[in-house]
Amino acid sequence: MGLRDDVAKVLIPEETLQARVAELGRAINGMYDDTDRPLLVCVLKGAFMFLADLTRHLEMRHEVDFMEVSSYGAGTESSGVVRILLDLEQNIKGRHVLIVEDIIDAGYTLDYVTRNLRTRRPTSLRICSLLSKPSRREIDVPVDLVGFEVPDEFVVGYGLDYAEEYRNLPFIGVLKEEVYQAAE
Amino acid sequence: MSVPNAIERVLLDEETIAARVRELAAQISADYADSDGLVLVGVLKGAFIFMADLARRLQVAHHVDFIALSSYNRGTTSTGAVRLIMDTRASVAGRHVLVIEDILDTGYTLDYLVRTFRARNPASLRTCILISKPERRQVEVQVDYLGFEIPNEWVVGYGLDYADRFRTLPYIGVLKREVYK
Repeated sequence: MGLRDDVAKVLIPEETLQARVAELGRAINGMYDDTDRPLLVCVLKGAFMFLADLTRHLEMRHEVDFMEVSSYGAGTESSGVVRILLDLEQNIKGRHVLIVEDIIDAGYTLDYVTRNLRTRRPTSLRICSLLSKPSRREIDVPVDLVGFEVPDEFVVGYGLDYAEEYRNLPFIGVLKEEVYQAAE
Repeated sequence: MSVPNAIERVLLDEETIAARVRELAAQISADYADSDGLVLVGVLKGAFIFMADLARRLQVAHHVDFIALSSYNRGTTSTGAVRLIMDTRASVAGRHVLVIEDILDTGYTLDYLVRTFRARNPASLRTCILISKPERRQVEVQVDYLGFEIPNEWVVGYGLDYADRFRTLPYIGVLKREVYK
């Protein structure tokens, strides 16, 4: 497969990834029970694959919902304000909400989404992110569950893209420098 | 995983689904081997699990996109009028579009999607459906890839829900009648 040739190295192999997703599922099983009926909020597009695998391990009654956001463009990142392209179908007032993210980087988007959802008065609001790049953090966002901390490298696969490619790789890989430098 | 009380029986178990998804992915990979610009358009919410599993098995480069729809009358029956809640992020003009749906029932939704995308001048347009209930069809629609045909029973799991419940069960099960009656 041509896409794999663009990967410099496999950072997290498929088996390691799946084992950790199962562990995260067990941790979530310990956080909620049937009566909590948590709502898992997936921030598109990157987190859909993680959500699909994570929910296979959940034992309590739960529901899923989706949000899609987009930034307003260059220079607006540090405000964190994003356009909500798709809002939740469900009203989260009085609900237990778990945000499911693929990666937390600078933290601006997640911070904004969290603040936005908090105004809707959920009973609880937690965050589960598959990956975190702590060295990139610009703003403190309390993440309850993290799958892997990764170095500041260009990671792709398992939902994460570069220019919309590589999302479907079943592992997390580091993109070859020449791939993204050729585009700059 | 235990089967909830509300489930009468398992219709398609996890291995059966995974094997069929692999077959569909192999067929799609062969069919698009020489086509640049494949985009999978998943219909929310139901298609996200099918999409996640199918995309990982594809051997051809592709983009993924999502679309969200709702019907004008809420409930278990549909008049066929569809409302677009969120459109795709990227333009599909000149792209090879493959619409990914979890279930084909009356056909109204898929018919709407096919007509909508057709009008946008894609290079090609095909549909990939995991589950079809032919008995329920109200309108003839184009189905290019199909996972399973099933009888007219209320099924849940692998993306399919009943009032947002049971959507993430790893198998497809038949809901007990007393749950929805």
